[in-house]
Parts: sequence; structure tokens; C-alpha cells
Amino acid sequence: MSAENVIVRMQVNGRAFALEIPPYHTLLDVLRDTVRLTGTKECCSEGECGACTVLVNGQAVCSCLVLASEMEGQQITTIEGLAPDGRLDPLQEAFVATGAVQCGFCIPGMIMAARQLLASNPHPSRAQIQEGLAGNLCRCGGYSRILDAVARAADSLK
Amino acid sequence: MRPFAYLRPTTLDQTIAALTDPSAVPYLLAGGTDLIVRLRRGHLRPTVVIDIKRIRDLHDEIIAVDGGLRVGARVTMTSIIHDARVRHHFEALVESASVVGSVQIRNRATLVGNICNASPAADTVPALLVYNAVANVVGPTGSRGVPLAEFFTGPGRTVLTRGELLQSVDLPFPAQPVGAAFGRITRRRGVDLATINLCGLIGADGVARFAYGAVAPTPFVAVDSSGALVPTGPDTPARAAALRALFSRSRPITDVRGSQDYRSAMLEVMTERTWRTAAGRLRGRLEAGSP
Amino acid sequence: MNPTDDWIGRSHERVGARDRVTGALRYTADLSFDDALHVKLVYVGGARSKIKKIDRSEALNVPGVACVLVADDLPQPVARFGPAFSDRPILATGETKFFGEPVAAVVADTKDAAEAAAALVLVEAEALPPVLSVEDALDPASALVQDPSLRPKDPLANTNVLREWTFGWGNTDGVAADLVVEHEYQFPMVTHFAIEPHVFIAAPEGDGVTLWTPTQHPFVLQRVVAAALKWPIARVRIVAPDPGGGFGGKGWPKFEPLLAVLALRLGRAVRLVLTLEETFQQARRTSARIHARTGFDRDGHIVSQELNTDFLIGAYADIGVRVVSKASYAACGPYRTQNAKVTARALLSHTTPSTAFRGFGTPQASWAVESQLTEAAGILGIDPVEIRRRNLPRKGEAFIPNDTPADGDWVAALASAERAIGWDAPLAKNRGRGIALGLKSSSTASASLAIVRLHYDASVTVLSATSDMGQGARTVLAQIAGKELGVTPDGVVITMGDTSIVPYDSSTSASRSTVFMGNAVIKACAEIRRQLQAMAAKALGVDPSAIEVAPGEVKTPRGVMTYAEVMQAGLGPPRGEIIGVGEERGGGYRPEHPLGGRPEFWEFMCTAVEVEVDPQTGMVDVIRLVLASDVGRALNPAQVEAQDEGAAVMGVGHSLMEQLILDSTGRIVNLGAMDYRIPTIQDIPRDLHSVLIENEDGPGPYGAKGAGEGGILGIAGAIGAAVNQAVGVQIRDLPLTPERIWRAIQSAGAKLP
Repeated sequence: MSAENVIVRMQVNGRAFALEIPPYHTLLDVLRDTVRLTGTKECCSEGECGACTVLVNGQAVCSCLVLASEMEGQQITTIEGLAPDGRLDPLQEAFVATGAVQCGFCIPGMIMAARQLLASNPHPSRAQIQEGLAGNLCRCGGYSRILDAVARAADSLK
Repeated sequence: MRPFAYLRPTTLDQTIAALTDPSAVPYLLAGGTDLIVRLRRGHLRPTVVIDIKRIRDLHDEIIAVDGGLRVGARVTMTSIIHDARVRHHFEALVESASVVGSVQIRNRATLVGNICNASPAADTVPALLVYNAVANVVGPTGSRGVPLAEFFTGPGRTVLTRGELLQSVDLPFPAQPVGAAFGRITRRRGVDLATINLCGLIGADGVARFAYGAVAPTPFVAVDSSGALVPTGPDTPARAAALRALFSRSRPITDVRGSQDYRSAMLEVMTERTWRTAAGRLRGRLEAGSP
Repeated sequence: MNPTDDWIGRSHERVGARDRVTGALRYTADLSFDDALHVKLVYVGGARSKIKKIDRSEALNVPGVACVLVADDLPQPVARFGPAFSDRPILATGETKFFGEPVAAVVADTKDAAEAAAALVLVEAEALPPVLSVEDALDPASALVQDPSLRPKDPLANTNVLREWTFGWGNTDGVAADLVVEHEYQFPMVTHFAIEPHVFIAAPEGDGVTLWTPTQHPFVLQRVVAAALKWPIARVRIVAPDPGGGFGGKGWPKFEPLLAVLALRLGRAVRLVLTLEETFQQARRTSARIHARTGFDRDGHIVSQELNTDFLIGAYADIGVRVVSKASYAACGPYRTQNAKVTARALLSHTTPSTAFRGFGTPQASWAVESQLTEAAGILGIDPVEIRRRNLPRKGEAFIPNDTPADGDWVAALASAERAIGWDAPLAKNRGRGIALGLKSSSTASASLAIVRLHYDASVTVLSATSDMGQGARTVLAQIAGKELGVTPDGVVITMGDTSIVPYDSSTSASRSTVFMGNAVIKACAEIRRQLQAMAAKALGVDPSAIEVAPGEVKTPRGVMTYAEVMQAGLGPPRGEIIGVGEERGGGYRPEHPLGGRPEFWEFMCTAVEVEVDPQTGMVDVIRLVLASDVGRALNPAQVEAQDEGAAVMGVGHSLMEQLILDSTGRIVNLGAMDYRIPTIQDIPRDLHSVLIENEDGPGPYGAKGAGEGGILGIAGAIGAAVNQAVGVQIRDLPLTPERIWRAIQSAGAKLP
């Protein structure tokens, strides 16, 4: 056994990749440095802040806690995959409209977590939105406009 | 992170062989929510990380077995929380699993992984203990069932010997109506590790079974069969004494999450509150005539 | 108020929001530098260690390592830098002075190699007793944090007092008071925890060096790096991408001089991305111990305030001295104080260099002063709102002699918050309400330049060194330029952050940018309109007085022309553009003023809060939080409210849960997100409401004042008061953790339900 590179085949935002990477690199490392999608952010690297949230087979996960090697055969969606043709997704529109975006660093992770929330619970209560985004830290905004944004996006999807 | 190799076995035999390879320092990877953190901090230095998620004999499902449920090694907290049978029979386990981290953590973290990580503060363990969970261990010498109350030997330590792993956890359905509740103290309302955690279960037979975490080197169980903790009747000094006796084995320490005296005081407060909630749930069931 | 127009007073969509929600915006760590080498820093454990030996041999053997730099490699004596004092060495030399001061920098071609090599650098160090508290710093038996030879002419050089001041007026000795309230208050060490950790990139470029770093103050960084390199300013270029949160923590230089040195030595781009833990080690708020002695008459009027403000700054001054002086000068708060004496000290310690942090020392002072007022109200039987009303200066009234008078209707803000919180409504059990005021001095003497370019087609580019770190500076400047020149928002481009492109600006701090940079933009636009007037006059052969330039249109004797038509007529086929330069210097530098100048405006905030406390566990639930701020004119109301809300939740953090915990060696025990708790979405007030008082009485564009810090100033005082009302305990140390509240309840023997 050695720590030599491995080949991992995964889909990112609908595109197939076969990547040769060190087995001990995380999905976050690989998305940012190898696939060059920098929309997913690195902050705490310990699964506490949510800035690195992506969807794996539709489920929100902290990509800093996933080894890229685990992703063989999996489908990953990053923030860049939400609106590939340039038109904003309802969540993205709502975040812009409610003024939820300040410095923006937490926003990709927030939106991905909110994406999963609305997919599994299209009409969440305020408490349910809070629970769905409990793993995403924001330091600029105080969260209330983020709550408004998710509620607004849920309304617009009705 | 320091370099390590990555294996993704598909059978238990391959896994056990990799675990018992004398030249290796192996660690098992399930959800990664504990392991990756420890790898990043340099607390663990494996030569190889063994991903269990493609092992055919380790299930990601909760299956019905005789008289209970069997939770496979790959079952995540999210699956636990949403499973209708778990919600019906093991409500306090659902409560505890619901506070393990965030949605992102729960989508990856496994119940079995939480057990094997053996943190004294693991949130799901007190619930598993009051529900009499049994750990199904498999290893080079075969398989064995270990009552969870006997599974932990110290902070971060279990009875698993080299080459052994946890294949599943059995949850026997309670044989009588019960009321159970989970409680904990944290530093903030949001996602947090527990300063103390506990689970209380009261049976229709009047026996109370409580389990505590984060207040001793391992989680522990206390049973009261005096009848003082039945869910009906007025609060009496006997009841108060019985409640206090439940956590008499606790040895809380002072750490960054709380001081010893605060933890001790919270044991009393939370035992009373958890008992009250569990009692209310049992009364509700008895009145409704449902199990 | 002027009637609504299309630009000002409207909550325009934030410029840059779309790029942020799509992940398209490139923060500094997202920038592609294919050729860059990776830097990893090497530290020793503990706060203060004598460096005896550094063995790099194993590290240098790791494939891909380009160098392992230590202080001995640098020209001696090792260059020192800092925004106010040049006290911080580029690398620790002889002794480390805080937990997180690096002793070596490893540079390698991959992150993995740099990390592996850093772990192999062997440092032999001897732990020495550190100075970690105000008491330690004042103890004559404690070690000196700084070598006295660094400040040879300073009579305080043989102490840990870096600077001390006495501010005040009147005479606090022997003042007759019906009530004297005297207590000591503590404000802990807290850290900024912007979601973007620190990142620094440097590369040699031509004759100079360029640094990419999300700094809030590119021109400060430029001069500090130039000084450290002993280079002319013009050879240092700073490129400052929009920060992922700053709050003051990205204001002042940290590892940029080191990175510049590495880049120049190696002739290559070098890149350092700090972990969140390392980021915590590099910046924090100045902690404080404040002794307050406040005298009142029986009607609650303040007759005297005596404050001893001891601020614990870190091992290097950074901007700490300024924090202490500015906050202490105005520490008495927005009150008529007949007699005042504030003795302030900036105390060195072997801790993280404290730096600017939203509020700049005022949250600390406000915690003490507001708690004093609320206590006095209780003793005198006066309502806490009323006692403040009785002491608030009215607009135009001087409350600090010879200084900027009260410049807002502060009584209205107080009344507004009182109404919005429902101050007089009955309170449920275990609930309490608190009110607190906060007053912060804005910029005193600073300068902002703006260049506005009117292109041939009348689209506009604004060049500004303001940093858009979340407050929405780009948007506000686009609104101003749009209004002044009659351009729609999509016709305005804001270029920021590159010192080779944008003109000088002092800083993005002190809530100054809307006023200073906004005014500079207005002046630049006025200059453009003057040039258009002259151009039109010349093209039409008339006197300039016959031409009237309005936003977007030029009125001439021969009819109305657009700006583009004027430029076509005036410049012809060779084309060109019109450039306007504006400069705002405010009231200017006053050398005789203790702060170098009068505050350009006061940032005033009234905070009211209602909480519920679980008396058995000490857990606090913030039910409602109301902010009433005096902002002059909200150019973009949603952005102002969002800033107030964010500042308030940040204040909830230091009020209820945030503190850096040090062990006896000065090591920070709770590094990282797991054990340093900030508010999550589940910790916010159930109801958070921001009211903006607008009387167009500010010195900025259209009567605006600045905002952004007010929201954090009074949170602790309000929450402390509310907790006291709820469960009968007055705690004077922050944060009010559940355990601390529980402990206070136990010792007060307060009756449990």
C-alpha cells in the first residue's frame, strides 16, 4: 500500500471527470485545486462552518470532511452547477433580492444547504429553515435576511 | 494532511485482512465526520484508511430482525431520523441523532461510527444504552454480540480488538409501553457538542433506565426499580432522592465546555426535566392504550 | 426629506451580489497562480519562548522545498514594521512574543510538500513566563514584553505600558453626588472570525513587488511594506480583492512583509493561505478591564464620570494604541457629563496583536458605562430609558468640550427604540428588557481621493480604494455617481483595490467611507460637470455661464444635449474622456487635538433587547432586539439595516458566547470553529428590527453619516441589563455564558421558580 495517486471517476455538475489525485486529498481540495471550481470555499476545514457545502447525490455534505477518493461513481453538485446557463436559480435570485448577500463568502455553502432543504421540504417553517442551515455560519449578516431568502425562494417555487 | 493510502474493500474478509496487516496502521472510514477531523489535526497517523462504504456485508439499511431493528454499519444519522420504525419505537434515539452536528454532518455520520469513535460525549449513546442496544462485532475470530453497556472501556476506547469492526447494532423493541426522552446542555442553542447529555426511559412496569454521557470516562447506565420513578403521582422526597441517585456514578470534569460544578448541577436539573418528559410520554401512551 | 429619487434612498440591488451567489466572484484564495510556491509557517507552542536553535536540515530534504527562511537569514537587524510603531519583526527574532508568531517560513512547490517540511523543522525553544493579563502587565515583577531599546525616548519604556493618557474636563475630585456607583468591568479577548481566513500572495513584478491580499486599507499596506523593504512607495503594488469579511481584522499588515521578502528572494510568486486556527492567532479585539466610578444626582443626572480604561493590547502595537485613545477619549458616552476623567492605558502582553475590530474599543467602554447607568436607574427608582433621556445632549449641544457637538436627534432614536421594543408592555416570568446607547467617534483626520472617468459614451468608471467587504460600498458609490451624472446603475463600473489604478484613500474603517469616499466621488463628478460645461461652451461658442449641466443632460441656448453629444462635439473623432478627481479631507488634521482631529460625525445607536433566561441552566434566549440608529440619510436602506443586523448578532456573540481561552503558557485553548462559538442561525433573536433615523444632518452625501459599527456598540449593556431584570443578577464580565449566569444566580441566592 502506498500513498500514491489514485484515479477517481466522478461527475461534477453533470460533467464526467477522471482525476488522478493523492488519496488523502479532500473533495474540497480537489474541487478547488484540480477541477478548478473555486465557488466552494474553505474556512474551518472541520465541518463546523459549512462554507464548503456541496451536494453529493443530492445530499448536502461538508466537502472538507470527504476524501475525494470516496467519490468514485458519485454525482457532485457545486454552486457553479446551479445555474449553468447563466440564469439564476430561484434560491440565488431570492438571496440577491432580500439583501442576504454581504461579503458573500458563506453564500455558496448556504445556498447548497438551502437547496437540499427545499428539495426535501418545499414549505419549511422558520424553525425548519434554521435547522436546515444550522451548519452554515455567517459573520456579516445576522442571518435574518438569509431566512427571508429561503422562505421567499420556497414561495416562488410553489 | 499527512499522506496515507486508501483502500476500498468489498468484502469483510478483505477488510479484516487489511486491519490485521502487521505492517499497517489502519483506520476505518465510514462517514468521516470524526476521522477526517482527527486526521487533519494530526491526532491519528494512519498508513492506510479503509473505506467501508462498498463492503457488501455492511448495510446502509435498517432491517427488521426478530423482535427489533438491525442498524447496518453504513446507516447515517439522517436515515435514522427519517425511518418511520425508528421514530415510532425509539423516539429518544431520533431526538439524539437530530442534534449530532448539522444536516451536512448527519448526511454522512453513521450511527455505528458514532459508537466506535467512543467519545464520552457522543449524543446517540445514552439513547442506545437505555434502549438496550447490542453491538454486533465481527472479526478474525468470528462474530459476537456485545451489549452496548459493556462496549466502552474508556474515552475513545472500546472492546474491539485489532481486526474487529462493528457490523451492525441491534435495537430490540421494548416489550412494554415506554416513555423515553433525550436531553443535553450546550453552550449555545445552535450546533454544539454536549456539556452533558442523557437519556431517560421509563417502562410501564415502573422501572426507570437512565444513561449519561460527558460526565464520566465512558457513558454509563443507571437503573431504578424502586418504583419511585413511576410516571404518576405527586413529587415526593423519595422521587427526588431516586432521581439524584441515578447520576451518582458521574465524575464530571472541568474542560472548555463547562466546569465540574456546573455539570454536576446540570445533571440534577436535566435528570428531573428528562424524567418529566419521559413520564409525560409514557402517560400519554398508557392513556391512549398504544404501545 | 427630499422626495424619493431613482438613486438615493432606494435599496438598489447590491453590486456584486450576482457574482457572489453564483460562486463566480474570485476572492484572494481563488485567484489562479499556477506558478506560485506555497508557504507554510512554523510556530512553537506557548506564547513566549526563547528560540535557541532551528534545525532545518530534514525540512530542506523534502522534495520540492525551495527554502526555509528564519530570522537569521534576513538582513540584520531584522526589519520591523507596523502601522503606527515599527515594532513587529518580519519573523520572530530571539524570542517569540505571542502564540502564533512564526519562527520560520517554509516555501515549497506544493501545499503537501510545504506542510510535510514544516512538520520537520526542529525548533529548540525555552518557554518563558508570559504576560497574559492586565494584572500581569502592570506587575513590576513581570517581564517586559517589548525591548526598551525599541522606544528609547519613552519614559514608559521600562514598563509594559506602551502609552497612557488622561482625558477629561471639569473636576472629578470632591464632586457632590447623591449616588456613586463604582464597579469594575471586563471585556474578554474575542476574534473576528470572518468566514474567509487570511491569505497573502506576493510576486516580484518588474522593478517592484505586488501583493494580493484582501486588505481593507491597501494604501496603509503599501507604505508599511515599502518601509519594511526600504523601498519607495511607488515600487510596491497592492491588489486587494473584495474580502470575505473584514471587521477590522484585515486592516493592518501581518505577513505581507514576510511574503514580499520571500517573493523577492526566490524570484517567484509565493502564496500563504492561513487555516482558520492560524487566523484566530493573528487578530483579536483589544480586551479591557474598566473601572468606572459614576456620580449621579437624585434625579439621575450624571455629575461625574471617572473611568480607568486598561486595555490589553497584544505583543505588537498594531493599531492598538489608536483603539485605546479613540475609545477612551469618548468613553463617557453620549451624555452630558459635567465632570469627567478618563485615564487610559495601552498595555502590552504576550498575546495575539490586538487590532481594529468593529466598534474600535467602544463596545468595551459602552459595556461599562451603560451598565453603570442602568444600575443607577435601578437604585434611584428611575426608568432606564428615562435616565438616559435626562442625560442625552440635544442636537448642537457640546458634550465633550471643544469638540464635535451632538449631531443628531438622539432623543428621537431613544424614543424610537423604546417604542419598537414595547418597553412598557408587561413582562412574562424570567424575561427582562435592557436598553443601552452607543456612541462612536467616526474618522477624525483622514483623506479620500476618488477618480471618476466619464467615457466617450457617457458610461462611467469610478476608481476608489474603498474595500467592499460586505457593507456594499460599490453599490453606494455607484448610486452616488449615477445620481450626480445621471447614469443608470448598469452604466457605472466601480474599480477598487489596486493601488496602481485607484487613488489614495486612508482606510475602510471608522464607518467613514460613505462620507469621505462618497463626498470625494461627488466632488469628482462636480469636476466632470464643470469640464462638460466648459466643453459645451467652447463647442457652441458661448460663454460657460450660458450652459447649465444637470445630471445626464446639458442645457444650452440651442437646446438640451446629452453628455455623449457634448463629448462628441467637444472631442471629435479622436475621442477621449473626461476625468474628475475629488478629494475629501474632512475637518482636517488638528495637531493639538488628542485624536488628531475632531470626529467628522458621531455614530449613534440605541439598542433595546428583551431576553428570556432559563434560571436553572442559565441559557439565554434573545426574544427581540431593536436597533435605532441615527444615520443622517440612508443612501441604501437595506444595506444599512443589514449592517446593523449583522453587527448586532456579532454583539450577541461577545455578549453570550465568545471568548478566547488561554492556558497558563498563553496558548489559546479554543482555537477553531469547534470550540470558539459564534452565533449560528439558531442563536439569533427571534425578532430583529432596525430603525433608521434620517434627518439629513450628516456631513456626507445628501446628509448621510456613516454606519456599520453602531449595531455592536450597546448590545452587551442591553443584554446584561435584560438578564439582570429577568433573573436578578448583575454580571460584569463578558461573555454571559449559561454557566456564568447560573453561577451568579447561585451566589446571589436569587430565588428560583
